[in-house]
Amino acid sequence: MSFDLNFIGILIGAIMASSVPLILAASGELITERSGVLNLGVEGMMIIGAISGFALMVVTDNLFFAVVGSMLSGLILSLIFGLLTQSLLTNHVATGLALTIFGIGMSAMIGKNFVGIPGKEFPLLFLNLKESIPFLGPIFFGHSIILYFAFGLPFLTNYFLKKTKTGLIIRAVGDSPTSASNQGINVTLVRYSCILYGGAMCGLAGAYLSLIYTPQWIENMTGGRGWIALALVVFATWSPIKVLIGALIFGGITILQLHMQAVGLRIPVQLLSALPYIMTIIVLVVISRDSRKIKLNTPTSLGQIFYKEK
Amino acid sequence: MNTKLKVSEISKIYPGCIANDKVSLEFGSGKIYALLGENGAGKSTLVKILSGVVKPDSGEVFLNNESIKLNSPLDAKKNNIGMVFQHFNLFETLSVFENLSIDSDNKDEDLRVLVNDILKKYNFKIDLDIPVLNLSAGQKQKVEIIRCLIRNPKVLIMDEPTSVLTEQETDDLFISLKQFSKDGILIIYITHKLKEVLSLCDEVAVMRKGKVVSVSNTINEKIESLANKMVGENLNTIKKKINNFKDSEEILKVSNLNFKSDDPYETNLKDLNLSLKKGECLGIAGISGNGQNELFQILSGEIITEGTSIMFRNKEIGKLNPRERREYLMAFSPEDRISQAAVPELKIYENVALNNFKSSNFFEKGLVNEKKIKEHSKKILSNFSVNTDNVELKSQFLSGGNLQKLIIGRELITSPELLVCFNPTWGLDVGAINYIHETLIQINEQGKSSILISTDNDELLKLSDRICVIYKGKLSKIMNADTVTAEKLGILMGGGSID
Repeated sequence: MSFDLNFIGILIGAIMASSVPLILAASGELITERSGVLNLGVEGMMIIGAISGFALMVVTDNLFFAVVGSMLSGLILSLIFGLLTQSLLTNHVATGLALTIFGIGMSAMIGKNFVGIPGKEFPLLFLNLKESIPFLGPIFFGHSIILYFAFGLPFLTNYFLKKTKTGLIIRAVGDSPTSASNQGINVTLVRYSCILYGGAMCGLAGAYLSLIYTPQWIENMTGGRGWIALALVVFATWSPIKVLIGALIFGGITILQLHMQAVGLRIPVQLLSALPYIMTIIVLVVISRDSRKIKLNTPTSLGQIFYKEK
Repeated sequence: MNTKLKVSEISKIYPGCIANDKVSLEFGSGKIYALLGENGAGKSTLVKILSGVVKPDSGEVFLNNESIKLNSPLDAKKNNIGMVFQHFNLFETLSVFENLSIDSDNKDEDLRVLVNDILKKYNFKIDLDIPVLNLSAGQKQKVEIIRCLIRNPKVLIMDEPTSVLTEQETDDLFISLKQFSKDGILIIYITHKLKEVLSLCDEVAVMRKGKVVSVSNTINEKIESLANKMVGENLNTIKKKINNFKDSEEILKVSNLNFKSDDPYETNLKDLNLSLKKGECLGIAGISGNGQNELFQILSGEIITEGTSIMFRNKEIGKLNPRERREYLMAFSPEDRISQAAVPELKIYENVALNNFKSSNFFEKGLVNEKKIKEHSKKILSNFSVNTDNVELKSQFLSGGNLQKLIIGRELITSPELLVCFNPTWGLDVGAINYIHETLIQINEQGKSSILISTDNDELLKLSDRICVIYKGKLSKIMNADTVTAEKLGILMGGGSID
């Protein structure tokens, strides 16, 4: 029995690992959206983060530089988005879509020389504890530092938004940028900061994929996770904790359905592959259907361009 | 300490419009000043300049004889100038306390003490920990005022504060304002309501087309003299003859109307019954947000409710959509001209075409018959004296009054048997209001009926044959207009009962 239990522990550990990029990207996007900015460039920023992290790792042979570099590259890409939408007042949706397309193309171009190069081993923490404690060991130990960060992030984000003054200001800007501006809040600055933070988190999410989860560069390796992260934010009704739940369900069912495919259940593969998407949406819709809470959590000005009166 | 505020030679020019033309005014603490003018007279621009939201092209502002720079709302705050905007600057989804704390440098605990002191001192009753969206308009305004008071303002500017209040709330507000004035706060009160100027203010400055045309003591003024200064011409007052429709044919009957919404922003309607005779105008009073929106949408067919019977000219129409209702000669003029009644980006004739009806032949075999629509639109523009004959003009370039004339015209040109309108003169200036009122009286005289849902009591008393009040989704009993006074309406609107 102890073997089985340990196997379940390992499975849960794997599920947690697979949900990390979603948690990171969605938590970042959540802050961006809470300030009223809809950035559909998550996928693009993630993939740029993935390639720049991997490329920096190969070039500098330093994982720290690789991780920081990936965040910087996500940030730079989001800066472009910020310049366009906040300073030049372009449409959020169109600009975000362009950002994604640009990111995917750019990453493929940079990545040409990095295909087939093996990745470097990323240090995992508490490996001995993972081995020695059955069941709980593989769940709680033997992960990268980024995973621990990712699992703390939704709680930090929640605290930040609800309890700090800066969080309050971000929510206020998302609620009504005009009122915020009339109260002397620099709406553009707040929104820029939130966009850049979101970009850095998406970059980190990409780096997690190319440095830790599958340590190599494969073209288009984010495989739509950016879009899932975006959907998570909306279906979780802008609540960080629900984003975490949604990411775990998505990661969990993805892993489980792979196992079900391996076992050879007589369910069409297509249906199994679709399962994570369907289940995540169903669960999130069910847990978030309090219409009052939706009203209170939804950034009212989401996607609206803000003009300051002069 | 005495406060002196002086604006000197302020000018602000927008493309195609001089909003402020060398405006100079002086204010001193201990008095309440009225700034009176029609929409577009430049009052709002001036107060936006004083609150740092808009920068003037030229001119200076002096506070206690020192020139101050007001480049941002923060500058206004630093100089202790507080401002309560006409459209609330609150964050609907945040709690009252969060709304106050966002603007304050105090620690949360200290702020709570401070706010509670203010609540006690001025006898305000507001729960600090509920989201602002659950507050009534009057309470929201109090939150705005508290936000200013926290900063010990020297100057408090109120921009048309009573447009969303009941009579009772207005009285309360005036009591508070007089108290603030006694406490040494200089109050500038922006309005286009003449009565308020006389009952509240000590001095009045009248603005017209960006210029100050008169400054005087209110003791020396009367409603007529102020109105003439404001409009710049003599206005004739209109008064409707109230009719008794006992023997007329019943045209509309709504029975047992119930509506329950899942949306926390909306109001539930409970057991509404009303009937309307041919040629009659039924006024529905109430503070906004008491179910008027929902009632309008149900009458117009935007919301279909089960089990409610709406009989119109002996037909059951409860399940018909707005377009089908129009076929039966109902017409609707919604509250929000820009987002509900018309599409601002579309040209005038396109907006007219949106309201197509069966006999219009605007569309033939799926194609747009532009010529026909344009002819029809021209007819509306001239019949309803919209100040343009260019049907290609984008609707957003029409002023509020002209847009409303277009919308009412679009509805009335088909000579409907019933017009349902919701705040038809909201935000319009005196001239446009007069025109709309005349039009509404005219249709009654032609034997057509109307339902007037309005938050403006004067308007209701002027135009209705019978009046009732909607409060928290319930209708009061329907009264003959000649037995109703503004005072009675105020009591009912605030949830009280009469006789």
